[in-house]
Amino acid sequence: MSGSSKEHIIKSYDDELTRLTGEIVRMGELAVSQLEAAIDVIDRRDERAAQHVVNNDDAIDLLEQEISHDVVRLLALRAPIAGDLRNVFAALRIAADIERIGDYAANVAKRSIPLSMVAPVSPTSGLGYLAELAAQEVRDVLVAYRDRDAERAYQVWKDDAELDEAYTGYFRQLLTYMMEDPRNITPCTHLLFMAKNIERIGDHATNIAESIWYQVNGEPLTAQRAKRDFTSNPELTKLGNKD
Amino acid sequence: MTESAAAGIHPQSAASPAPIAPTKIKVRDLHFYYNGFHALKGISMDIPEKKVTAIIGPSGCGKSTLLRIFNRIYAIYPKLEAKGEIVLDGENILDTGYSMNRLRSKVGMVFQKPVPFPMTIFENVAYGIRHHEKLSRADMDIRVEQALRSAALWDEVKDKLKQSALGLSGGQQQRLCIARGIALKPEVLLLDEPTSALDPIATGRIEQLVEELKNEYTIVIVTHNMQQAARCSDLTAFMYLGELIEFDRTEQIFTKPSKKQTEDYITGRFG
Repeated sequence: MSGSSKEHIIKSYDDELTRLTGEIVRMGELAVSQLEAAIDVIDRRDERAAQHVVNNDDAIDLLEQEISHDVVRLLALRAPIAGDLRNVFAALRIAADIERIGDYAANVAKRSIPLSMVAPVSPTSGLGYLAELAAQEVRDVLVAYRDRDAERAYQVWKDDAELDEAYTGYFRQLLTYMMEDPRNITPCTHLLFMAKNIERIGDHATNIAESIWYQVNGEPLTAQRAKRDFTSNPELTKLGNKD
Repeated sequence: MTESAAAGIHPQSAASPAPIAPTKIKVRDLHFYYNGFHALKGISMDIPEKKVTAIIGPSGCGKSTLLRIFNRIYAIYPKLEAKGEIVLDGENILDTGYSMNRLRSKVGMVFQKPVPFPMTIFENVAYGIRHHEKLSRADMDIRVEQALRSAALWDEVKDKLKQSALGLSGGQQQRLCIARGIALKPEVLLLDEPTSALDPIATGRIEQLVEELKNEYTIVIVTHNMQQAARCSDLTAFMYLGELIEFDRTEQIFTKPSKKQTEDYITGRFG
């Protein structure tokens, strides 16, 4: 049960909860645009634009502070219980996840600056695909949050395996490039960190999905999620050993 | 079927509360009528021993009525009738053969508004004991002190036991009423909105007292204060229009009630 669809007797309570949902969605949308902008500046090798993305992260941090403030206020003044309590609790957790997503997007932009100072390497284009998957995950999970749609959240949670898989493939690709030519090591290392940041964005999207599941159903999503990030697999690491 | 369900992930449906202690009061198919008005409609519940059970619900839902049937206080009024069973320690207290004196010594009650007798603090507590037991002066002194200590009032009144109870504050008067109730060493303590007339500090003291008293007594508390039910009780029953809608662990009721009516009521969406 996701709480009641009925309105509260005290209308302003509903207004505050609606405002909270709106703030979360707005914060999430901002984080997605930050990720898209970060990928865009890599392609354009635009240092100033990259710095702009990094600076914009402050806006997300500010929104998180506002949400925390609103949550504390709601807890203190409304003493929410049952579905309302789960809504407020989920909002706090989701805001923290979005804040991290924003940080990862800013990190990607930050690394694009040194990357733009060396000669372009071909695997750069692969990063866009990863970012596209991650951005879609975040967008979907925001819709699930807005609509209190646990099933859609579950879908996002499950589909993160695709991003993990793409990340593993990209990791392998970067290793190959680095083995081929040591001059690729510097840009590829940056790309590796950026890819990892994007893969982590997917993980935070699954955290959000879990919060939505709890918010709607009142219990944790306990099933095992398929993981497709095999980059810690020793066999894959052996790729880099020449003996 | 949804994809999550197909994957074997099911939000659990709420079940009746798993027993958290042996049952002290077993209510079975209880019906109550006021002059023909059907006030309670087939209530069945198991009230656990030495735990706090809160009964919540909107005005007129029957929660106070249910509480008052537990000590058959309704029997003093005409045209009131209870049908069904309330089994206390294996005996149906609704049986006409069940002694009222015995019931009153086993089940104590504290009302919404503290009503101390117009006599000394000492006599307020000793009065009920004298009706049930013959104690020596020394034993009575001990008994009164024990009751006042248990009600967390002793330190505040020990030097003025001979003064009128009417001079006490509202919160002290309510604790005196609790002392009066527990002086008879009952097994069950019924509290009918015991803090609704008290300020937050006095309320806090009563709630702390309830927490301590549950080590000795089975407590049933009727309250309009949702947070009080959440703070004080182990189990919560939600009643509406004379029916028991949901009865579960308090934590469950206040985080994930299984009935929409319960959710609507406790989250302030009723009506």
